[in-house]
Amino acid sequence: MKRKRSTDIRRKFERRDRVARRIIALGGYGVIISIAAILFFLFYQSLPLSFGAKIKEWFSWTPGDRSDQILLVGVDQYQEVVYFLDQHGEVEFLRMKDRHILLRDSLPLEPGEKIFSADRGSLLRDVFAAGTDKGRILIGEIHLQPRFEGSVRRIVPSLSVEQTFQAETPGDSLPAHIEKVSFRRTEDGLELLAWVNHAGHLFLRIYDPEEETTYRYDLSEQLGNLPITTLTMNYSGETLIVASEQGDLFWFDLLDPEEVVLVDHWRASGVAITAVSYLLGNNAIVVGDAQGEVSEWFPTKNPLQKTKFTLIRRFKPHRNPVTLIAASPRNRNFLTVDSKGEAHLNYATTDATQLEFLPSDYPLQAVAFAPKSNGIVAADSRHRLGVFRLDNPHPETTLHTLFGKVWYEGYQKPAFVWQSTGGSDEFEPKLSLVPLIFGTFKGTLYAMFFSVPLAILAAIYVSQFAPQWMSRIVKPIVEILAAFPSVVIGFLAGLYFAPLFEKHLVQFLIFSVALPVVFLVGVVIWKQIPEETRTRFPRGVELGFVLLVVLAAFSVADLLAFPVRETFFAGDLKQWLYTHWGVVYDQRNSLVVGFALGFAVIPIIFTIAEDALSNVPKSLSSAALALGASRWQTVRRVVLPAAAGGIFAGVMLGFGRAIGETMIVLMATGNTPILDLSPFNGFRAMSACIAVEIPEAPVGGTLYRVLFLTALLLFLFTFIVNTLASLVGDKLRKKYARF
Amino acid sequence: MEISTSRMTRKEKNELPVKNRIVIETRNLNFYYSDQNHALKNINLQIPERQVTALIGPSGCGKSTLLRCFNRMNDLIPGTYLTGEVLLDGQNIYNRSLRLEELRKRVGMVFQKSNPFPMSIWENVAFGPKVNGITNRSELEELVVSALKQADLWREVKDRLKTSALDLSGGQQQRLCIARALANKPEIILMDEPASALDPISTGKIEETIETLKTQYTIVIVTHNMQQAARVSDFTAFMMMGELVEFNPTRKLFTNPDEKLTEDYITGRFG
Repeated sequence: MKRKRSTDIRRKFERRDRVARRIIALGGYGVIISIAAILFFLFYQSLPLSFGAKIKEWFSWTPGDRSDQILLVGVDQYQEVVYFLDQHGEVEFLRMKDRHILLRDSLPLEPGEKIFSADRGSLLRDVFAAGTDKGRILIGEIHLQPRFEGSVRRIVPSLSVEQTFQAETPGDSLPAHIEKVSFRRTEDGLELLAWVNHAGHLFLRIYDPEEETTYRYDLSEQLGNLPITTLTMNYSGETLIVASEQGDLFWFDLLDPEEVVLVDHWRASGVAITAVSYLLGNNAIVVGDAQGEVSEWFPTKNPLQKTKFTLIRRFKPHRNPVTLIAASPRNRNFLTVDSKGEAHLNYATTDATQLEFLPSDYPLQAVAFAPKSNGIVAADSRHRLGVFRLDNPHPETTLHTLFGKVWYEGYQKPAFVWQSTGGSDEFEPKLSLVPLIFGTFKGTLYAMFFSVPLAILAAIYVSQFAPQWMSRIVKPIVEILAAFPSVVIGFLAGLYFAPLFEKHLVQFLIFSVALPVVFLVGVVIWKQIPEETRTRFPRGVELGFVLLVVLAAFSVADLLAFPVRETFFAGDLKQWLYTHWGVVYDQRNSLVVGFALGFAVIPIIFTIAEDALSNVPKSLSSAALALGASRWQTVRRVVLPAAAGGIFAGVMLGFGRAIGETMIVLMATGNTPILDLSPFNGFRAMSACIAVEIPEAPVGGTLYRVLFLTALLLFLFTFIVNTLASLVGDKLRKKYARF
Repeated sequence: MEISTSRMTRKEKNELPVKNRIVIETRNLNFYYSDQNHALKNINLQIPERQVTALIGPSGCGKSTLLRCFNRMNDLIPGTYLTGEVLLDGQNIYNRSLRLEELRKRVGMVFQKSNPFPMSIWENVAFGPKVNGITNRSELEELVVSALKQADLWREVKDRLKTSALDLSGGQQQRLCIARALANKPEIILMDEPASALDPISTGKIEETIETLKTQYTIVIVTHNMQQAARVSDFTAFMMMGELVEFNPTRKLFTNPDEKLTEDYITGRFG
């Protein structure tokens, strides 16, 4: 009977043990799985950044079997309707879905007149100019207007010719044919036309709609009568670039239409330059030459403060002369095509040639990007149009742009830059993670400078020296501080402490010097008291002594502030820093953050270090004291080494907290992504950057994915730091703390 | 009531048993852990030089407390206080003119549970001299070697002085703690049940060590084990409930105690 009961009880306990074991195991695995899931998710979101570009021809069209030259091609933003303009001025629109020709129209040419050259005038609209062999220039626009009928979208094409005029032919009675034309219509309506006629004369015509004035120039003289191969203008109508057969480039400044000047000319290639094009951004040009070399140039200031076009980078060369360059209307992508019809898709900022492909077996005559940069239309010499779908979601990120120095358009030299959004459509996102990583570590470092000594010394004092009543008060208070919302700390630091610090900068400066000095003086005075009297003081009095020292240092700082500021810093320390050292003082700077972040980190380090110190067995310190060691010797030689593992773990946990801390760095730094160790300016930490920018980042976009990558890195950093903490901590514990 | 009479008797015979020079003397020593906890009551005791004095008595009688009064280890416990005097060579050690570190250098201590530092054997032994200001390497070396030899540990560890002290066996660790105390060249060594956690063989070794040490040092040993007291000590003090019941040469105390209470205790009638 009794036996049965005891086995029942044992079974009951076994059952409970089993259940408890399973629940605990479930919890443990749950934690591991959720961490793995987070890691996987971050990885999954940032992985597409590494996928390259893909291109696929999905539509091809050979309108009739004419052998006419095609001069312009294009497609609407939905890639439903494709069009071309041929040398007879014929324009045809084809709906690709059902190969239905929506519209056939033509430019008003005279009988037998042929178009020789055409140029698209904008990256955003299908305006164009066409130059004929009779010396006429026609300006027109192709409209691909989407119309919605119910839920059905239809593209309604149309062609309008806005203007035709006879190009001037000075000193020549015969109408000259237009060899090469370049046309721009800016957003303000400024119209610029530059052309070269068969005699090699270069003309420029600028129409200003506001003034209703037309300016005309003959620039041939300034070129020294060199044979011109090609010419281009930027889309804001500020510059004209003319290329010669000898490889020279001429740079005209058109900013003032009343006074067009040749700014500079230089040799950009040893052979004829065969293609030049501006990129989105209106600053950089891409130059292709007869040897197939492709290079990017933009103006930078040289040491003499003179602005000159500089060779920024070279791209993978073609095997044949470059014939066409087309710039993407969305990003820094551009397509170069050589005389054999081989095309390279390059991305300017990354130096990368993303794709090499052969759109056709025959040489290409015209090529254009789709308006959303997600497709390419190309026409070959056999009158065949190919439409390609381009899948290139994140051309701007490579390992090099994320972590290396990049020479961005308009910059004087390569740099690490984080600037994800800008004011205009031409803005190029600069997504270097280096300033963010740097900022994170800068903030962490300043926080650690401030918090580690303070926290460890406080832990030593509280665990080893303070009277019991004091540690009973201090410990729980500090532990509560650990739960203090960091947003409050950040708020106080950014809005209260930062201005205070700025106002009393000199006081703080003097205080940091005065404190140790006053402390030393205090120690000397303390030593003057005979030992017998000194030992009579109850424990805890030393804290009053320290408070006295701090107060004294404060008053010294306050007293000296005015005379010091007037004598040494000419009345204004911030100004003095700037004029003498070139140091810019930001109100929300690293010192403020170090203080605020340190404030958040101190409780963590303190609590763990204090526990580690208190857990050193009393038997060890007793042994040391019994050997005649003083309290301090005991702490330094026995207790500290024995607690080193725990203290180290505390410091590393604090480090991990500081790395991941968001609100404080968000609110108390200026969030300026700069690379500068100066304590007087701010930084942008990875965590704060994610918090600031993720609401602005379009889901699935490059910025979005880069922010996920940042999160992944942050995760890895904290993971590494914590792993390191426990590994080194274990090792130290094994070495010193086997008791 | 018995106890108070016995103390009267004890007082009459106060100076009787000791012929050697007295190194430690307590005068009307009272010790309190708190106001309610009066742990030592009016202790008058004289410890002779270069002899082994054993403190025995039932658990909680105050023998360890008394021992720890001799090097002021009780100071570490907050809230304690004492009255009366403890004289070391005639000087009151509770007088503030005697530095605590100096006192503890002169009065070494070995604890009940061996407590080597988590350092190498060499560092353990050199710790005392180092904290007391000896930095000369050869001097330290000499002190370490001689301390280890005196503690009868040298032969066992001379080839592994740099290895962790924690790798030693329990008995070796305790002898290391003795060596560590010896390296300070103390006058007196206090031992608080040094063999209570050890096996008989290790205990035997410790006892042998004590035997050889008493030619140079005054030893005060607290022990639970009456056989051990009988074996190693020259004098024995029997304490009970915070009072000193009897202090006599060991042989006398164990064979012909003055006090009925002592006899009851050593014959195992209580305790």
